[in-house]
Amino acid sequence: MIGLVDGNNFFVSCERVFNRRLVGRPVAVLSNNDGCCVARSNEFKALGIPMGTPYYQLKSREKSGELVFCSSNYELYADMSRRIISILRDEVLDVEQYSIDEAFIHPPTTAAADYLAYGRRLRAKILRWVGIPCGVGFAPTKTLAKIANHIGKKRPEGVFVLPGDPTYILASLPAGEVWGVGRRLAPKLRAERIFTAKDLRDAPDAVIRSIGGVVLLRTATELRGKPCNEDRDYDADPDSVSCSRSFGEPVTTLDGISESLASFTAQAATKLRKHSMLAAGCNIYAQTFRSGGGGDCIVRTVMFPEPTDATNAMLDAIRPEVPALFLPGTRYRKTGVVFFGLEKVGTARQMDLFSPPVESKASPLYKAIDAINARYGKGKVFSASEGIGEKSWKMKRSKLSKRPTTRWDELMVVK
Amino acid sequence: MARAKVSGSVVAGFPSPAEQYQETPLDLNELLVKRPAATFFVSVEGDSMIGRGIRDGDLLVVDRSLRPADGDVIIACVDGDFTVKTLRLGNGERGMGNGGAVRLIAANPKYPDIVLKPGQELDYFGKVTACIHLFRKGKRNG
Repeated sequence: MIGLVDGNNFFVSCERVFNRRLVGRPVAVLSNNDGCCVARSNEFKALGIPMGTPYYQLKSREKSGELVFCSSNYELYADMSRRIISILRDEVLDVEQYSIDEAFIHPPTTAAADYLAYGRRLRAKILRWVGIPCGVGFAPTKTLAKIANHIGKKRPEGVFVLPGDPTYILASLPAGEVWGVGRRLAPKLRAERIFTAKDLRDAPDAVIRSIGGVVLLRTATELRGKPCNEDRDYDADPDSVSCSRSFGEPVTTLDGISESLASFTAQAATKLRKHSMLAAGCNIYAQTFRSGGGGDCIVRTVMFPEPTDATNAMLDAIRPEVPALFLPGTRYRKTGVVFFGLEKVGTARQMDLFSPPVESKASPLYKAIDAINARYGKGKVFSASEGIGEKSWKMKRSKLSKRPTTRWDELMVVK
Repeated sequence: MARAKVSGSVVAGFPSPAEQYQETPLDLNELLVKRPAATFFVSVEGDSMIGRGIRDGDLLVVDRSLRPADGDVIIACVDGDFTVKTLRLGNGERGMGNGGAVRLIAANPKYPDIVLKPGQELDYFGKVTACIHLFRKGKRNG
């Protein structure tokens, strides 16, 4: 059985832990540069304002007091995420952090008697310790756990265990909403009369392969309840990019940790560029070796000077933090990198058009870079631009909350 | 976080007699932060808890994992602001008059009790487990 734990409206929930005035109000967290809504409270969703709505379209409703916005405070979110992951690591056999607000968990065999009760207990512990409400879903595969989690989140207890025969659930779920399928495939699926997740599960392998290749076949296999643990590479834009590996032999040197992290960063950065995405920062982690699974996990949060997809810029930011993961004499079994604050390259450029005049000077530069990107590839151009020291892309975060868990001079004040 | 295990490296000769006494150095985190995932630091403003030794500018260690009990010093949110006070649960607790209401009590007579209205839930943040008072110039600097 695999579980998926994720924070409900995670960024908004993080803000609410330290700002109780946001509770019960329609709140959205904005993307890098205060571009568009990337996280919404339930009250905000209830107003029918979709994810990705540009902030400038909503400014008047903010002035009138109807809506509340926060700039993205990734340093805070990454720390809260780190706390949740460390609670999970104390409770389960293995945790695979999939994104800043999602982790797959492998529950211990003792949980098998009652996964619902187990999930409730985990959820209650995270809520009490960290203040973040989570959704929890259990199923035999990751793809099905995603679906179970989605249902769990809508239930008052926040937990759902997929039944042995989930046909009725899959029959009511559009195929395009299955994890990793993506909207781009929807027309092709429709042409083959595959409308729901059940249709996808029951379609012949040859048909599935002709639509979405081996990747889609893996998804279908997972819907059938058989786990496919290969490193998955999706067609759809990822909402998270991460890379981690368990070592064949425990690693005991700082060099070993550094090299593995550098290589995972490079791999994850390649994924980012493939999807024309930038990351605002990342968590790097190292897990110590403990016989019988588990082990302590040391995590550091790294913010990039600006959202980037350039491996060099990422490594420059990560390098000084790596020694903090390493304790001499300790054996490590796993390291990893999880990027967060992802945005499309194109979105960033669009935001620039609506920026105040000072910033819009940068748009010829953006165009030039796009032209060069097309010819020579993205990575080089971005690292070159960082060398020039162009500051016009500096993150605009006018509504940034404090960072009470990572900065001594920004602590929460009590009277 | 860095808790390096120190071990003697003697190339030749007798083992160092001090070696068996070498232990991990004392680490304040061990004393003050029992559960890192649930522990938060907050900064005090004002003198409402002066009677419990909590002064303006002090740093409090707060553990969210601990359930609040009568008499605990806790952090709670009242009308949008966080406050540090002593919790008094009503319902015939020892030494308590004034019926069954939950109260947040200052340790300074200048501050009136905060009484929760019937049905109003305590917006509990965490329990204060330590107060750190740094000697330094200037007023505050968390």
